[in-house]
Formats: sequence, C-alpha cells, structure tokens
Amino acid sequence: MTYTVVGKPLGQVEGPAKVTGAATFTADVILPEMIWGKVLRSPLPHARIVSIDTKAAEQMPGVLAVLTARDLPDTLTGRVVYDTPVLARDQVRFIGEKVAVVAAEDPDVAEDALALIEVEYQELPAVFDAEEAMKPDAPLLHPDYRSYPHAPEKFFSELPNVHSHVTWQVGDIEEGFAQAQQVFEYTFTTHSQHQGFIEPHASVVSVDSEGRAHLWISNKMPVRAQKLLADAVELPQEQVVVHPVCIGGDFGGKGSLMDAPLCYHLSKRTGRPVKMVMTYTEELMAGNPRHPATISLRTGVTDQGKVVAFQARVVFDSGAYAGFKPVPIVNIPGANSAAGVYGTPHVKIDAYSVYTNCVPSGHVRAPGDPQVTFAVESSMELIAEAMGIDPLEFRKRNLVQDGDLLPDGHRLEHVRIRQTLEAAIESSNWGKPKAHPHVGRGVAASYRHIGAGEANAEIRLESDGTVKVITPVPDTGTGAHTVLQQVVAETWPLPVEQVQVEARPELFETDSGAGASRVTYVVGQLVKEMTEELRASVCRVAATALECQAEEVVFEDGHCTVKGSSDRTLTLAQVAEAGSGKPELSIRKTQVNRDNPQVTTFTAQVVELEVDPETGQIKILEVVTSHDVGTIINPIGHRGQIDGGLVQGIGFGMIEEVVMEEGQVSTLHLGDYKLPNIKDIPPLKTVLVQEEIGPAPFQSKAIGESSITPIAAAIANAVYDAVGVRFYNLPITAEKVYRALRERDSNGE
Amino acid sequence: MASEKTMTRTIRLRVNGKEHSLDVPSRRLLVDCLRYDLGLTGTKEGCSVGVCGACTVLMDGQPISSCLALAVFADGKEIVTVEGIAREGKLDRVQQSFIDHGGFQCGSCTPGMVVTARALLDANPNPSQDEIKEWMLGNLCRCTGYYQIIESIQGAAGEASDA
Repeated sequence: MTYTVVGKPLGQVEGPAKVTGAATFTADVILPEMIWGKVLRSPLPHARIVSIDTKAAEQMPGVLAVLTARDLPDTLTGRVVYDTPVLARDQVRFIGEKVAVVAAEDPDVAEDALALIEVEYQELPAVFDAEEAMKPDAPLLHPDYRSYPHAPEKFFSELPNVHSHVTWQVGDIEEGFAQAQQVFEYTFTTHSQHQGFIEPHASVVSVDSEGRAHLWISNKMPVRAQKLLADAVELPQEQVVVHPVCIGGDFGGKGSLMDAPLCYHLSKRTGRPVKMVMTYTEELMAGNPRHPATISLRTGVTDQGKVVAFQARVVFDSGAYAGFKPVPIVNIPGANSAAGVYGTPHVKIDAYSVYTNCVPSGHVRAPGDPQVTFAVESSMELIAEAMGIDPLEFRKRNLVQDGDLLPDGHRLEHVRIRQTLEAAIESSNWGKPKAHPHVGRGVAASYRHIGAGEANAEIRLESDGTVKVITPVPDTGTGAHTVLQQVVAETWPLPVEQVQVEARPELFETDSGAGASRVTYVVGQLVKEMTEELRASVCRVAATALECQAEEVVFEDGHCTVKGSSDRTLTLAQVAEAGSGKPELSIRKTQVNRDNPQVTTFTAQVVELEVDPETGQIKILEVVTSHDVGTIINPIGHRGQIDGGLVQGIGFGMIEEVVMEEGQVSTLHLGDYKLPNIKDIPPLKTVLVQEEIGPAPFQSKAIGESSITPIAAAIANAVYDAVGVRFYNLPITAEKVYRALRERDSNGE
Repeated sequence: MASEKTMTRTIRLRVNGKEHSLDVPSRRLLVDCLRYDLGLTGTKEGCSVGVCGACTVLMDGQPISSCLALAVFADGKEIVTVEGIAREGKLDRVQQSFIDHGGFQCGSCTPGMVVTARALLDANPNPSQDEIKEWMLGNLCRCTGYYQIIESIQGAAGEASDA
C-alpha cells in the first residue's frame, strides 16, 4: 500500500518544545508558595522500628512538617497488589525504605532536617536471595500477604515468601520427556538493571480549598495514578485531578505513585503545594529495577535434534514489596517466553516471584524477556554443541511455526521467525573467515507479543477546523502522539498539521496508559475507527451545507468539496460552524482489547565481537538486528525504538548492574552504575523483514520491546565463540571475562 | 549545617544575554539558581554528580555541568542555557536537526545535548563521527542509543550558527 502520511519521517509533535526547553516535566512544575519534601530512608534491611523522635527536626527553622506513619492513615499502596506502606509502619524491609518525611521551604533545609530525626531500630533476620527466601527456615517478610488488597489468590503458594507462583504449560511435560532420548539441564542467573531514565521520579501535589488533590507526576499511566493516589490517601477518585506533563523516560519503570502520597499528606498538613524529586541515588537504592532471576532449564531432545520437552523454573527476586508489578498475576509475564522461539510440543514453565530484603523490583522494558532469553538462547548452543549439531541448524530444526500453540495459550499466525533469523545471518559475517583469533560471533532470537489493554479517546472537530484527539496517554518519548496524528491524517485524509493530539488524562476515569508496546495498537486502532466515524459526521454536516449527498463530499487539502465541482467547497472551520452544537462532531469512546493478537513480532540478532585475552575487554565489532515488521507508521520513531532498546540491552548484557551486598546497593550514582555512553555503541546494521501484516493500524506491529531482548544472549554466545568461555550469569563484564580466562589458563587448558 | 546561619552572596551574571543580579545562598547550585531563582527550567537535573550531562550549560562558551557548579561561580560570567539557543523564535539548526533526525525521544537529556552540540559546532563546524563521540561523551541518553543524535549533529554541521 502507498500512503501519504503513514510511513513519513515526521519529527515528534513535542519536538519544538523539547529542543527549546519549553516542555514541562514534573520537576519543572513551579507553583506559588511551593515547598519541598525529602524522605528519611532505612539504613537496615529488616528491622522493627522501636521509636522515632522527630522533635529536633520539627524545630529546625524552615521546616514546616515532619510526618511518620503514625500521622498517616493505615493504608497500603501498589500498582496492583497493595502491599507497600506509604511510610514504614513498625517495620522496615529493605535498605532505602521510607521511614519519615520532612517538608521545608527549601530542599536543602529539608535534607538537613532529616539528619536530626532519631530512629531506634531492632534488627531482624534478613534474607537477600530469592532461592534462600523460599526455604522453610527463611524469615517471613509478609506473613499476611494473602490479605493484601488485590493479592492474586489464584497464584498463592505454600512456599515461604512466594507471593505469586504462575504456571504456563502446553502439552504434557512428562510425556515430552518420555519421548526424549537426551535431557540437558542448565541454570542461569541474571541481575538487577535500573531503567536508567534521565529524569528521576518526581511528584507535585497541591490540595486546593475544596480538598481536591492536584497531581503532577512522572507516571505513564496517569489515569491509574489518580485511582492509586485516591486509594493510598483515602480520597474519592474524583477528588484527584492529574495534570499532564512530559515523562522523562519510562522504560516500564514509571507507573507507580512513588512519593505522590507523601506530597499529598504534606500538602494537606501545610496548606502549600509540595514537590518531591528523587535524587539518582534514591533511584538506585529504592527505584524499581529489573527483577534478578534464576532460570533453571531442563530440555528433552530426540536423537534427531528435535526439542520435545522444555521445562523452566524461573525464580524472580521481587525485593521487599511486590507493589511495583503492574499485572494482575503480580509476577513477571515475560517468563512465559522462556521456551524461546521454538515450537516445542511439551512445555511447562513455573515462575515464582519471591519477597526478599532487597530493593523492590519492577518492570523494565520487555519485563522478564531478556532474562529468560539469555537462558534459553545460551542453552540451545550448549545442547547443540553437546549433540554435535551446528547451533544455527539446531535452532532451525526447532523454530515455531504457524498454528503452534505457545505456553501462554497463543496459537500463532503469520510466523516469520525463519525469515527474520535468516535475514540476520545473511546480513552478518556469519560463516566468513575471521580477521583475528579472538573474534567471535553469536546469534540469538526472541519474540514479543503486541500488548493488549484498554484504550480511551475523544476526537472532535474544533471551531478552527482542526481535528483534535484527546488522549489520556501521556508523552513518554516514544512518539505516540505523533503516531496518532499520522493515523488520523492518513485515515481521513487531512494535512497532518490539521490534526492535533493533546494529553488530558484528568478527563478519563480508567485507562491502561502507555506500556507493553500497546499504544499504537490499542489506541491507534480505536482512534482510526473514531476518525472514520467523525469523518462520516462531518460529511453529513457538509452535505447539508453544500446541498449534496454525503457520499459526494470529498476531502482535498483539508477542505470539504463536492465531488466534481471544485467551486462548491467549505473549509473544515466552516463545517464546524455549520455543525456547531451537533453532538456527532465530538466523539468519545472506550475499547478494551483483552488479549494479545495472534500475530506476534520476532527479532534475531547477530553479534560479532573481539575479546582482549589480556584484559577481558569485549569490543563489539558489529551488531545485526533483524526485525519482523509490518507497515512502519513513523520511521524515525520506529528506528529510535530499535536503536535505543538495543543499546539498553547491551548495557544489560555487559555493563550495567545494581550491585547489592546484603541488601545494600553499592552502585549509588551514575558514576558507579554505568549507562552506555556515546562511545560504547557498536556499528549497527538494522534489517527490516517487512510484510504488511499486523494487527495495529495500517497493518503495523509493535517494536518498542524487541531489540533489547536477544542481545545479551547473542553476546554470551559470541564470547564463547571467541574465547571458549561460557557465561551462565550476566552481565558479562571485562572483569568476569578476565577472571574466567585466568581460571581456565590455570587449569592448564 | 543546619545550625549555621545561611550565608548569602550577591551575584551578577548574564544569562541568555540578559543581566541578572540576585542574592543566593552560598551553597546554592547553579542548576537550582537557573531553574528556581530565574525560572529557566529548560536545564534538567539528572544524576546530580556531573555524569549524565542533562544539566549542561555554557559558561563563557564552555559546556559545564550546572549541577556541580555553585551559583557563586557564575558571578560575572556569561551563561547560555537551552532557552538561549533559539533566536527570536526561530530554532537553531541544531535544534531543527534534532527534530528531523530523531535526536531525542523523551527529551530529558535534550537540553544538555543541544547546548553541548551547539558548542561543538561553534568550535568545529565539521566534526568527524569520532570527534562528535569524543565531544558528546559527557551527555547520556537512554532513549535513542545515540545513533540518531550523531546524525542530528551531522545534519546541523557544515554551516555556521544562524545566530
């Protein structure tokens, strides 16, 4: 298909505001009489709070309020399960948990006052490892977890500290293993990764004279944030009014209230608007990083190299609270892709999410996927080598096909993994001679569903003739508003400048917001249908004014014209005037897409790298990232998702780790927690395997959570190819490679 | 310290061509002075330790981390923030190029990126890719993976600033 607006490289609609500094993020909100809040955090991983003395802090000049849990209603909060206190009540469960909060005229004064608060603790036994926490003698962090609001009863477990145990299966795992001639078992571990957004969490709350709480928050689900805040502070939802702001990077992590309930209580207490901005140190010690995971795989293979049984036990370290998980299972959905891109007939996957005295974990771009993909894509290489089969050939024998049933209940259509994988291989140096002895190549592949959820929108013809889309979905940087503008302009058709998109989350009561690679699909599809409906209404109004049939009205250059008579024409502003007051010129709708589409998206990546055997340093020489795509609505944004996700995945695979020792984070600023910088990026070749089949508007597909996933596994496989050392845990840092090489050499190999 | 009386100093500085004279606490950071005393919230604070570059401003033409500089250091200096890059409502070439090439997504690193890139092109109108990487090393971006940032700067290279 050829399109006029779809497929065009339009810059983001927020562009001019963002490049001039005019765009407003939460921390930029400055209100008259605004004051600042700062929190005191626990220095202990597990302790009973014996007493808190706030007198000295209260008396400090410039301090306006000091609150502890005793000053607040006894509520819990969270994205689904409400298990997280607004301030610790009697007990702290991780280093960094909030214990008290100060409001002051100046943030530095608030910070100083924290030092004057005396807390007496009585230490309790703590557990820092999810596997240890599941053992019978482990200290119980949440003995009453079954009674927490929205705790998922269906997934309760008898095991200590396991707050959610989900099983996905297809076929009969016992029968599968009975068919296998060989069985392989491996265990892999992955670490904690921070989302790494440049904007730390921020909130501003101003309680007005009628008791309404006005909220500005770095939250990609602002409608949900209204509900969560209302519940957390015991207000009716309609008393919370969220104001739109730009979100300075989300990557899955910005869906919680974070400090907003504290801002509310401080504002209510002082009668002043209150701002709280986390420092990056607070982000790293008490944000909501990616779940560390232990992934144990058991794979049954026939002598012909066909995988017939696949069993995975995935243990996620949930940290001290499960409240950052946004899905009803209160677990990590990506675990259900642990069997990889293979059409294994008998699969059983068990995912355990476990409380520990560590930083609470949350969602990070493609939650669960990079962890389990590292495991399955490493294991495929190990099995192939053990069986004497070429690893690529072994993969090809087992690829998922049309009609295969996945463990999550999906029966796939239009499966394009084979083409995607082959395109990656063909575009790389695979099979060619290597320039140096320590050069290695590795491949890995993954799939990612296109997200479901609830979409809401309003679309109307404005008096100036523009078509305006009102959406509750904020701008998180993905270009969602630009995509919606393109969808409307193409559907109508209208000049793109005649379409405006505005975020007004406060006008909606429920909405799924941004996440799960959902927006282009669920919101785009809804807005496309609504555009057609509004257009039909506009045609009817124009036809009356132009004295013709509605079917005769055509749109050219943003005008309504009677087909064949170019002199009988109206601007859309004139149509708006003619139809003034007509309800059909303003449409509002909700649509719920409960399930992921049967069409999914595939990614295959090839990494070529060189290992310095003296230092262990890895230099990536080239990455080929191959994507199964449909129509691309905005090529700038589409590419940005691929590039950005890939570099984030390289960070996960090689550089980044929230290092914790006995619950104490030691990477407490961005000097220690290394995000990839501009010199860390490798030469990149992107291959788009395109076919116009997709569930999103104009046969498009999701892209946001694809490139981040296989890269760590591809790096691990390439390192093995380069120097013969296999890594079972991430990240693969130079230090780890160095140590592994020394160990191997000292063993005389 | 809490017990000490806060010391203030009077500073004079020129920000985006405009003279300011103000009393600031001696420990006031330049980033807070710009954002909260002068209302120029375009400059962002990310890491607070001089690593991410979101707070970059030009002091007498040189990029600095305003989260590490005290406001008093800016006394007598000329500061340019992201708000001072466009002239008379017209975007600078660097700014337009960031829009056209997808040099940002969320926009929180963008003010620092734009300011740093403008300084690069003022010093070196035709930088090589390696020179771009060397110069931009102190500016982190989590959204783009940097490829489109490099292209944005290349797209704005070759001609003098519109200013």
